[in-house]
Amino acid sequence: MALTQDTSLLSSKSSTQSLIIPGLIFAAILASIWLAFQGEDVSEFPVFITDAFTFTAWVNAGEDFLKDNIKVYTRMVAGYVKDLYWMLEDFLLDSSWVFIAALLLIPSLAFGGIKLGFLVLFGTMYWGMVGLWDSAMETLALMGLSVFLSVAVGVILGIFCALSDRFERNMKPALDIMQVMPAFVYLIPAMFFFGIGGAPAILATMIYSMPPIIRLTNLGIRQVPNETVETATAFGSSKSQILFKVQIPLALPSIMMGVNQTIMMALALVVLATFIGAQGLGSDIWVSIKKLEVGAALEGGICVLLMAIMFDRFGKAASRETVTLPSDSQKFYLLPQTWDIYPIARQVEKPLQLIHFAFAFVFSSVIRIFSFILNSVISLFNKDYGSAIAQFINAHYFFFSGLLILIGIVYYDANVAAIGTFPEAWNLSIREEISAGVKSLVVNDTFISITKTIRSTVVIYLLRPFDFYLTYLPYWFTIGALVLISWKSVGIRFAIITAILLAFIGACNIWTEAMITLSSVLISVLLCFVIGVPIGILASYSKRFQNINEVILDAMQTLPYFCYLVPVLMFFGGGAFSALLATIIYSIPPIIRLTVLGLSQVSSTYSEVSKSFGGTTIQTLNKIKFPLAVPSLVMGFNQTVMMAFAMQIVTPLIGGKGLGLEVFNGLARSDTGRALAAGIGICLLAMIIDRISLAWTKKQRDALGL
Amino acid sequence: MKNSLFAKTFAALILSSFLVLSAGTANAKRLTAAVADWTGGELTCQVAVAILEEELGYRVDRIEFASGTGLWEAIAAGDIDFACESWPSYAEADDVMVNMNLVYDGEVVKEYSGDGSVDAYTSGIIGMSDYYVPKYFVDANPDFKDWSDLNKYKDQFATPETGSKGRLIGCPVAGWNCHDQKRLDLLGIDFEASELGTEVAALAEAQGAYDRGEAFLLYLWEPHFFFGKNEMVGVKLPAYKYCDSFTEANNWQDCGTAAWPATGWDKDYTMNYMNPEVMSKPENAEAVAFFKKMAFSNTDQAKMLVRVGDDGLSVEEAVAEWKNSTDEWKAWLP
Repeated sequence: MALTQDTSLLSSKSSTQSLIIPGLIFAAILASIWLAFQGEDVSEFPVFITDAFTFTAWVNAGEDFLKDNIKVYTRMVAGYVKDLYWMLEDFLLDSSWVFIAALLLIPSLAFGGIKLGFLVLFGTMYWGMVGLWDSAMETLALMGLSVFLSVAVGVILGIFCALSDRFERNMKPALDIMQVMPAFVYLIPAMFFFGIGGAPAILATMIYSMPPIIRLTNLGIRQVPNETVETATAFGSSKSQILFKVQIPLALPSIMMGVNQTIMMALALVVLATFIGAQGLGSDIWVSIKKLEVGAALEGGICVLLMAIMFDRFGKAASRETVTLPSDSQKFYLLPQTWDIYPIARQVEKPLQLIHFAFAFVFSSVIRIFSFILNSVISLFNKDYGSAIAQFINAHYFFFSGLLILIGIVYYDANVAAIGTFPEAWNLSIREEISAGVKSLVVNDTFISITKTIRSTVVIYLLRPFDFYLTYLPYWFTIGALVLISWKSVGIRFAIITAILLAFIGACNIWTEAMITLSSVLISVLLCFVIGVPIGILASYSKRFQNINEVILDAMQTLPYFCYLVPVLMFFGGGAFSALLATIIYSIPPIIRLTVLGLSQVSSTYSEVSKSFGGTTIQTLNKIKFPLAVPSLVMGFNQTVMMAFAMQIVTPLIGGKGLGLEVFNGLARSDTGRALAAGIGICLLAMIIDRISLAWTKKQRDALGL
Repeated sequence: MKNSLFAKTFAALILSSFLVLSAGTANAKRLTAAVADWTGGELTCQVAVAILEEELGYRVDRIEFASGTGLWEAIAAGDIDFACESWPSYAEADDVMVNMNLVYDGEVVKEYSGDGSVDAYTSGIIGMSDYYVPKYFVDANPDFKDWSDLNKYKDQFATPETGSKGRLIGCPVAGWNCHDQKRLDLLGIDFEASELGTEVAALAEAQGAYDRGEAFLLYLWEPHFFFGKNEMVGVKLPAYKYCDSFTEANNWQDCGTAAWPATGWDKDYTMNYMNPEVMSKPENAEAVAFFKKMAFSNTDQAKMLVRVGDDGLSVEEAVAEWKNSTDEWKAWLP
């Protein structure tokens, strides 16, 4: 199927030229099927090679060496990070929940207005109401610290990149690799060097989430117009003055964009870091998955989702140029401004306006009084200082009133009545209802028979034959075919690389596992196409459908990827089929997105022409739009494949097999070599497929003259 | 201008929060525990954590970490301070790492002479493991005596996945070192062990089969809540015998049918194990004293297991309920 997938793509291209090549490919597939049936057992690399190539033993020996020499230092770094993390975590956990909520709420109100304020209020309340306040604080601590460190280090590296072309040249490939690797890959070496728990999670997150901030800082500084720099030089600015007073301030919007991306990536990895012992929401979700508690897992997932949305919106609001506080009465606080025409919308907004003005009045008066008193006191000594400070306070009334509230809360908590943890009486958790609902569905005979039919059909007709085909097919045939494909699509150099990489996988004695992984990835991708492309077509024709679609897809991509195990577990239990399904749910968004993009990008002139020649909608779609959308579709294929590979690492949790399971087994037995070999295997397969499909996209684009 | 105002606001808020942070109380009595990946072990761990936190004033970070050799190494390396209820006949690292006598109720139950990188004290729980078949299966087949008869009935145990072989719902977690398939092969039992990833998944599978009245072979251990609802009969695997060559260092040279893993499991005096360096710190003396005294009983755990497994309580709730209802644990306080 690896072959048919790729070769069918190839053949569609060459069919216009001749029938010989498709014929040959077809013959090759037939031959491969015949070969697969000849095998007595699964195809394995010859024993003399796997015995000689003891990669796992070398890794383990290397580990021992590093343990004795390098680990002392990495552990020292981890120790500092751990102290910082504990400090922050203690602070978040020991502070009263009201204080933390206010700390999150006030800046959100300041930057994003009432709309963002409501979102943050809802988010923080939700953490408390479902009883996950403590876990949310732990995740917040992990994320806060990783983002802080990533930004600090990332901006410095970005500045270096911008100042030195050589540094940038050296940095670029490293950044490319950092972004191609699936997130999970960072965790294994991080655990090895930095131990278990929060510190390695933070350090791994830093590596993972730094590329955007480095790139965007570099870009931002380089985009500062030369004239501006020259003008500054002409006025006698020194190099450091230019950097700090001209270049960095002008690059700030770009840097803020990088910060926003860093935040999102950090959240994704911090949640995933539960696999190396980090605490927080991810850990709660994982525990629930392990216990098949659907409701609890879902609630944990929603907490993460809310956190992601909150930070995303906050980051966007904070990096915006203009302030979003509605300053005049024309503006709506919560509803879209375009609803101005509906009287009912104005009715809804009226009280909000009043509340806003009331608050603004109270706070600004309090601050005025405060600044007045301060002014008169200081003026006794120095009049200039007094009025300057008063002015400063008045200008920053929002900040000072926020500070007053926070101090008030701390004072109340310490001296009047302890606020403590989130009140249990406010618990609004519906996890038991969800679990009960799922359970009632699971014992429903009709439902069971439907899911069972789907399950057995996919397993018997798709999964098992394809697993059989790839594992029984002699390894030399598979390698040969993949090398040929890389040669044809990318070039001779990459073909050699492909051969070496595949030989490495075989020599590590994980060929069978690799083939099982490949098979589940390719089947998932195939099913993604079958399901995703029609949805994409629908979305490209209906604006409303597209809007709903966007929201869902956004949500899907912000959730940490092992959350996808939850809905699958609900209805299908554990097993290879569930692993497949989770992979599909996770990796389908790009194919939908890029189908929509590809179809709607096709210039309307083409469809107009087609219509004027009497083409029906279907014909236009088939003959005009689709062929032109192919590069976009292949791009979607590429992204979907990469995401499907990333998912392979978590599917063993619900019964997935292959390299992912090897990683887990290696970790459980403390066999770093075994885990690493399997982890590398996944990356290598992903890299090969990635390069092939990218090269193919390029060819398609060139052929179409795009 | 306004933008910079807000940037400053934000920066100042963060700064002020750090000011409060530095004034906040840092907790020196802080330990990290690995949470076990089966319900009984979770309960034992939660009992220890609840007493450490509520009675002795520690803050314990609970870390999800798969049990197995990796966990032992993490404890030896100081990444995790302690873990609970390790079963000696499952652990492969205990012989290498522990260097002290395991004492239960005043008697030495096991002697260790490892490198001393991990310390261990009994938790009080005594575990037994075996392969089990449902009682209705034995009733229907009176000829079925023990494991040696399994092959005769393997057709009844077969599933589509295992083909002509029977199926064992095996040890769910790789790190538990059960060596199920190896045992089956050595004993000549023509079964295939399937590893379902988690305790719950394995039990869901078994419960389904029990409800349908099918024959199934299940790896399980006592105490366990599964026995409360379902009548199961052990297949009486051969008595445990240690095999000194079956280690990673010896490339897993088995002793044939003479010894482990071609036998059942030993009677397991389970232990809580911890990093000696961390535990020798003065602030952790109380914790060590507690671990030396802790003697959680099988009966108590069995009752709590039913509360969790059948009544749907969380592990924390079950432990809190037990702690409020008895004074037993007060004897374990230092």
